[in-house]
Amino acid sequence: MSQGYRAVGWNPQKKTYDRVLGLGLLLYLGLFVGVGFALHPTATAETLLLRGLGTSAFLLLHGILCIGPLARLDRRFLPLLYNRRHLGVSMFLLALVHSVFALIQFHALGDQNPLVSLFVGNTRFDSLAHFPFQPLGAAALAILFLMAATSHDFWLANLSAPVWKALHMLVYLAYALLVMHVGLGILQAETSPLWAGLVLAGLALVLGLHLVAGWRERGLDRELAPGDAGLVDVCAIDEIPEGRARVATISGERVAVFREGLTVTAVSSLCQHQNGPLGEGRILDGLITCPWHGYQYDPCSGRSPAPFTERVPTFRVVLRSGRVLVDPTPSPAGTEQVPACAEQPQ
Amino acid sequence: MKDDFYIGYLPTTTPGLGAFLKRTGLAYLAACLVVALGLVASMGGFSSAVFEYGVERDFEGTLVGGPVPMLLVDRPSSEGEPSSYVLTAFGKFGAGPEVEPHAGARVRLSGTLIYRDDRTMVELSAGSIEVLAPVALSRTVSTERTEELGELTLEGEIVDSKCYLGVMKPGNLKPHRACAVRCISGGVPPVLLVRDDAGHASYFFLVSEDGGAVNSEVLDHVAEPVRLTGRAVRRSGQTFLYANPAELQRL
Ligand code: HEM
Ligand code: FES
Repeated sequence: MSQGYRAVGWNPQKKTYDRVLGLGLLLYLGLFVGVGFALHPTATAETLLLRGLGTSAFLLLHGILCIGPLARLDRRFLPLLYNRRHLGVSMFLLALVHSVFALIQFHALGDQNPLVSLFVGNTRFDSLAHFPFQPLGAAALAILFLMAATSHDFWLANLSAPVWKALHMLVYLAYALLVMHVGLGILQAETSPLWAGLVLAGLALVLGLHLVAGWRERGLDRELAPGDAGLVDVCAIDEIPEGRARVATISGERVAVFREGLTVTAVSSLCQHQNGPLGEGRILDGLITCPWHGYQYDPCSGRSPAPFTERVPTFRVVLRSGRVLVDPTPSPAGTEQVPACAEQPQ
Repeated sequence: MKDDFYIGYLPTTTPGLGAFLKRTGLAYLAACLVVALGLVASMGGFSSAVFEYGVERDFEGTLVGGPVPMLLVDRPSSEGEPSSYVLTAFGKFGAGPEVEPHAGARVRLSGTLIYRDDRTMVELSAGSIEVLAPVALSRTVSTERTEELGELTLEGEIVDSKCYLGVMKPGNLKPHRACAVRCISGGVPPVLLVRDDAGHASYFFLVSEDGGAVNSEVLDHVAEPVRLTGRAVRRSGQTFLYANPAELQRL
């Protein structure tokens, strides 16, 4: 476990990011309610605000879900991933206000506890068109809450990376629940094709980007088999760009083979922070640096520099006539390897 | 530019990357705002119903008890039917418990107007009923002016009269279902809303065959298309459907 959390302060970029986010949200809600009243003078403020909050949270969730595959398709999106937590927490807060508003409007001041009414008010579990859509929103909210509450690195360290990662994969379940919350809710009454069309377009965008990003990476997971002496031939040494890695799947695991100058080293490509792709990182000041949040590891030992204590498994590397050969058996995380050195400049 | 490597904890990005991010952020924001405009512009219309929230008025008239509590107010002309205001209570409750002890009496009360089309409802301010003349002295209006409309089979949607008449917009259909259930369960009179081909709405207050409340029996059928056969009666300015709620049919 890590001793400390990397003191990532609120640097100017983060402040800009947050300021843009806050202003954007105000602009969105103002526009929704303002134009709403201009076009529908007899509307009620409660309904416009409820819809503005719900749709802004839903749109933000689309953005959050698209950043992942976009960053895999084009590295320039990576900085957005770096600060994705702020988007997530903002989205949760918007969704929370929407939910509390709905709970008060539709369930409070009645003959039943509002939280009970939320689940027993509509009893048509036997019908799709009339299916209770509000409990679906509540389930999604519970997931978003868990994610927002555990978004800090404190939880990541205490829950362990795989558990944390699994928890955060639930965002896809939350998204599915919300598509149904909207589809079985407002779309049953709001008959404009634009509303339904936009929900479908959003779904197509999220699914499409994930499929394309997965398709692009399909080659990566082709398992390389060991050859002579049980070593895996990964590539020629000059196929690895300076300070970068070549990623290969060996023994069912993605391995990042880095080159710095004439030395070649190999570590597991899974960052211990949030399973970021170390193989897409680069060597900075002699340390492998994760492209997602900048965690660093020594290329030979797979250990984070003190005082940090993360370790990744390492692999033995051998160079033979310009080819990079990797021992497919991973050494325990943090095992020091002798780096392979090429004799002449490539 | 090609090898921009972003390090989040350093204070700056390279100019090329910064410009790309700015463009991306703005494009996303613009897309969201365009979506918002589209959603707002294509939202179904809101009715012109009114809930005079925060405005209390005084009313004087004769109380009618039963599952659909009403206040009958004589019109200034004193000719013809009195105006009939259906009464509800604050929140998602009916006014029955407050009205019943004074049914038939001439009273003064205060409340908040709710109206839609030519229908008017009053949200009774709690404890505001002041008896002017007890039951025996006031004109009995509840049984007179009854007009039988015969047996009708109606297709429509059950709504809670309070929300539909103006407290909520929209006050019907699926998104409002759970709220309508709460209101009807709390005693707000259920209405079968029937639209003719021209879209004109008729309101039928639902009561049992012997005129009792059916609130708890209709809960599973609100906010969806239903068919119901019953005896339609016009009384005290409102139309009632005397029917057996067990015969409600989903369409
Ligand atoms: C306890 C939780 C929730 C409740 C009770 C709830 C309730 C509602 C209700 C009643 C509506 C229809 C309102 C209308 O007539 O316009 C609605 C719509 C909507 N909800 Fe939720 N919701 C909940 C959670 C969420 C969450 C977590 C999201 C996340 C993004 C969300 C997003 C939306 C959206 C996009 C709409 C469509 C726009 C609208 O009609 O307001 N809801 N919700
Ligand atoms: S995943 Fe966060 S730094 Fe690697």
